[in-house]
This record gives sequence, structure tokens and C-alpha cells, in this order.
Amino acid sequence: MSADVKVERVRDGAFVATVDGRRVPFQCVRDGARVWLHWDGVTYVLEDEEEGGRGAQRGHAHALEAPMPGRVIAVKVAPGQAVVKGEEVLVVEAMKMENALRAPRDGVVKAVSARVGEMVSPGTVLVELE
Amino acid sequence: MKVLIANRGEIAVRVARTCRAMGLPSVAVYSEADVGALHVREADEAVAIGPAEAVRSYLSIDAILGAARRSGADAIHPGYGFLSQNGDFAEAVAAAGLTFIGPPAAAHRAMGDKKAARRLMAAAGVPVVPGYDGDDQQDARLGAEAARIGWPVMIKPSRGGGGKGMRVVRSAAEFTSALPASRRESQAAFGDDAMVLERFVERPRHVEVQVMADTHGHTLHLLERECSIQRRHQKVVEETPSPALEPGRRAQLLAAGVAAARAVGYVNAGTVEFLLDPQGSFYFLEMNTRLQVEHPVTEAVTGLDLVRLQIDVAAGKPLPIAQEDVVSRGHALECRIYAEDPAKGDLPSPGRVLHLATPQGPGVRFDDGIETGSEVTVFYDPLLAKLITWGRDRAESIERMAAALRRTAVLGVVTNLARLQAIVDHPAFRAGALHTGFLDEHMGAAPAPAAPPPEVAVKAAAAALQLAGRGAGAGPAGAAPDPWASLGAVRLP
Repeated sequence: MSADVKVERVRDGAFVATVDGRRVPFQCVRDGARVWLHWDGVTYVLEDEEEGGRGAQRGHAHALEAPMPGRVIAVKVAPGQAVVKGEEVLVVEAMKMENALRAPRDGVVKAVSARVGEMVSPGTVLVELE
Repeated sequence: MKVLIANRGEIAVRVARTCRAMGLPSVAVYSEADVGALHVREADEAVAIGPAEAVRSYLSIDAILGAARRSGADAIHPGYGFLSQNGDFAEAVAAAGLTFIGPPAAAHRAMGDKKAARRLMAAAGVPVVPGYDGDDQQDARLGAEAARIGWPVMIKPSRGGGGKGMRVVRSAAEFTSALPASRRESQAAFGDDAMVLERFVERPRHVEVQVMADTHGHTLHLLERECSIQRRHQKVVEETPSPALEPGRRAQLLAAGVAAARAVGYVNAGTVEFLLDPQGSFYFLEMNTRLQVEHPVTEAVTGLDLVRLQIDVAAGKPLPIAQEDVVSRGHALECRIYAEDPAKGDLPSPGRVLHLATPQGPGVRFDDGIETGSEVTVFYDPLLAKLITWGRDRAESIERMAAALRRTAVLGVVTNLARLQAIVDHPAFRAGALHTGFLDEHMGAAPAPAAPPPEVAVKAAAAALQLAGRGAGAGPAGAAPDPWASLGAVRLP
């Protein structure tokens, strides 16, 4: 059985849903292809179907991507080098903290595109595994 | 007194609010990355101090003093972080004929060098953890000292604070790889790479004593706080009173805090930090010669405004209260809301705040550094805001916190809010069974992937986006309305 939902807009991003006679305040905004939703104490990030498909591929274990904007301060591997899962491959500094990026699986490094001192943005491929 | 606030984010906002309450004009400073930031508008005026990089703006003594000169400020509040514990800054402020709202340069120097502070505290009879605080800082010497102290060993920047550059190492091999990283972080954050080594006390609690001293010889404690919930040596949840202290031990701890402050001739607000081991022994950790992030819990149980006391003390007034007037009523809890992703090992998660919902209610305080539309950049600390709750007892402040966290939403930026909810709901937290490894022990691995939203929530979201799209007028359907874009289309006469 699917509940009947009525939604009123309170102001930008803030809404009230009426669900089976109960009123539920919630927050919701679009962010490009993603939708942020805060419902009943929990924040969700929803993705469009198409984008979701692409998102699912982002977890592929062949490439190590920058997870956030920052500066590469150390590159610890070279092409041809074998790495084990969890091994520290790069260090990226952001918000004054050093963040170690680790190999997602065992493998051999195919290419290293990260350079020390370079500013990187999220999703940039830094190291590829064979 | 016109007060320049040499900081940003929630603490700059918080200091500006006390200035306003006291009827004092305030001046904000901002970097190029913070032009639109909340703190810029909370002060009476604002002065640009340079580019986004903190070393050329918030950490630049010249830039801050220049801003004070241009705005005609006659006092500077440093907040926490940045230049707040820099003796050279305190001295330069005084030399420029301005009032520094904080302790004298000598106190910063005595406590800012952790090596010297350890030696000073030991001499004053305040217990310290076994360790190495020598001036010989060669890698080989540190390695040998670490082995002598015995693993695990804590590496700490001698000039540090806030957990930056600190590491726990459990073997000589770990030490060899950790030391250079600690030195790099320390050099970047504090401009110095000398280290102190200490035996790592297993399963300690972090307890600290808030002290306040005036220039008339009065040194008071404002009770203790417990800050055992930490990640990467940075506090996440704090409370007062500590659930771990029975009255006798509490009295000893508070007396040690006052003794530490007196030993350095302390003036203004400061915090003496201790480790409390499972047997109940406590050891001096460090003294923070500034206002602490977690000061609001002390304000909640004492009814005092610590920033106001700081300003009055800096103006040369005697403290308006005596030790017997400092009474704790009820219990207070603070949760720090960080822009970081617990699912990715707490990596910082910058972004734009697309919507902010803040909680209200009895015993709830929200110290905000952001608002809807704020940019969270990679340049600064990821602390976004603090949520503080007060209750008649610990159970009530926790209950209020759990409810307030659920009503807090920061859409557009990944935060630790879900993690904070999990902490305050955890049976061990509710039981007060805390230690600094609490997060590793109870929520060590990546958190369980969030359950998908209920179907009704997805339906509601779809309906909401449709309504928002209709309201946005010319914008693409469903896009969040951008006030600047719509303003740009308005033709002015």
C-alpha cells in the first residue's frame, strides 16, 4: 500500500508533507544531478536514474580519484609498481589535514597522473591500476 | 572599546554577538574566499585582509594590524586557532598600542612550547605523562627517546594545537614513517617542526579545567569539561560536568588547573587539559592560552558569558565573581558539526550550503558559522557550527541533543551529523563510559551504508522539486533558485 502524500512549500528548500493526516516538515534541494533530502532526522542524497548508473561505475577499482579538492603533497608509487589493498598511494592536503589515499585493491600501477604540488578537483584520476 | 575579531566562521560570529550585546562596535576581517561569509555581516564593519591562503590573511600579523589601523579598532579578539596562541602576535598587538583580548605574550610562549610547558608544570607540582621534552630534535634522537619511553608513543608538535600533526605510533617502523608527516603538518600549521614525545596512555579520558584570571591577582576555575569523544585527536563531542569525576577527584583536578595557571602568571581565559587514566590518575597534557571551541558548555552550566569576561579582564577590570560564585547547574553537551564524510574516513567535504535548517527549543543553542548559500572551501578548518544543549541532568541534555540533531540539516555539504546522532544514541555514550578511543572502538569502520529513504519520502521529494521548479520562474525546471541570477535580470532605473 502506498501512502497518499500532499506537499506544501514553506520557503526555498523547506516543505511540509501531509502523510495520512500527519504533517512532516522536511527539506529538499536540487544540486545538479543530485537531490538532497532531509526527512525524519536523516539526510539522503538521491541521484537521477541516469546519473545513478554513472555513479555506480565510479566505484570501479581501476582508478584512484581525488575524493575532494586539495593539493597533492606526496606520490608514493610509480608505474609498474605492485601495490596491496590499503597501501598508501598518495597524500592529498585539504583543510590543513593530510589525507592518505590508499589502493582500493591489490594490483600493479599502470599510470600515475598526479604531480606533487598540483591542485586537484574531485573525480580527477590520480593513479590507475592495471 | 572597538573590537577587531581576527578570525572567521562560528567563533567570529559568536564574539561579534557578545560585542553587540555589550554595546561595543565590532570589526570583522575576511579573506577573498570569505567575502560572502556570515561572520562578515555579523560585525558592524568588515575589512578585507588578503587572499584565501590563511598565511597571507588570517595568519598574517601585518594584515591584521593593518586592518585594525584602518578601522580604528583599539582591541583585538583572536578567537581560537590562527594567531590566537601566537606570542609574537600578542606582542605586536601590544606594541601597536592596542589591547589584546587574551593572555600576555609570555603566557603564550610559556605554554606554546609544549617542551617548556611540560618542564614548567612538573616544577609546579602538576603531574605530567612520562615522555621526552628535550631540545635535541634530530630524528635519530627522537627515535631513540621513543623507544626508551616504550610503545605506543604519541608524537605531538611542540607548538601545536587542535590535533594537527599528532600521531600515535606503535612501533619503530611506524615512528619512522609518521615523524616526517607530523613535521610537515606542524611546519605548515604552526611554522615549527619540533616535537614532544609522550607515552600514549591507553583508554584515557580527556578532561580539562577552564580557568579565568584578571590583572588584579584573581585566578578562578570555571569547572571542568570532558572532551573524550575525538577523531584524529580533534574533539567532536564535549560536556560538563564530566561523568567520570567523583567530588574528591574533581576538587584535585580543579586545584591542579588553577595551580598550572598561577605557575605562568596567567591572565584572561585559558584551559588546562589533562588525561585521566582508567585508574583515576590525571596528567597535564597542555594549556590552551585562548578561548576554547567548547566554551559554550561551560557558559550553559555557569550562566557566564566567557567572551564578556575576556573583554572585561582585557579592559583591566577585576573579575565580577569569586570562586564560590561559580556554581554548576545541570549538564551541558556540545556537538561539533564538521564538513567531513565519515563514510570516506572523515575526509573534508567542501561544497555550497544549499539549505540550512537549525533547531530551536528549550535548552538548545546553535553557534552558527554558515547559512544557506555559504561556500565551504578547502582553505580552512571544516568546523561549520556547534550545537549545544542544556538539561537538568545528563540524560535530559542528551535527550535534547538527540532531538536537536535530527532537526539539523545541512543540505549541499556532506557532514558528520549522522555520526553525531549515532554517538549520542550509543549505549556506551549514554552510560558515560567514554575514552578518547571511543569512536575507533564503537564506530571504527566506515558506518553502515545508509538505508534507502522510505517511499513516501521520495514521493514527497519529487513533489517538492516540482513546486520549487514552478517557483523558480525562468530557471530550469526544478533547479534551486539562485537569488543572484534572478536579481541580475532586474532592470534598475
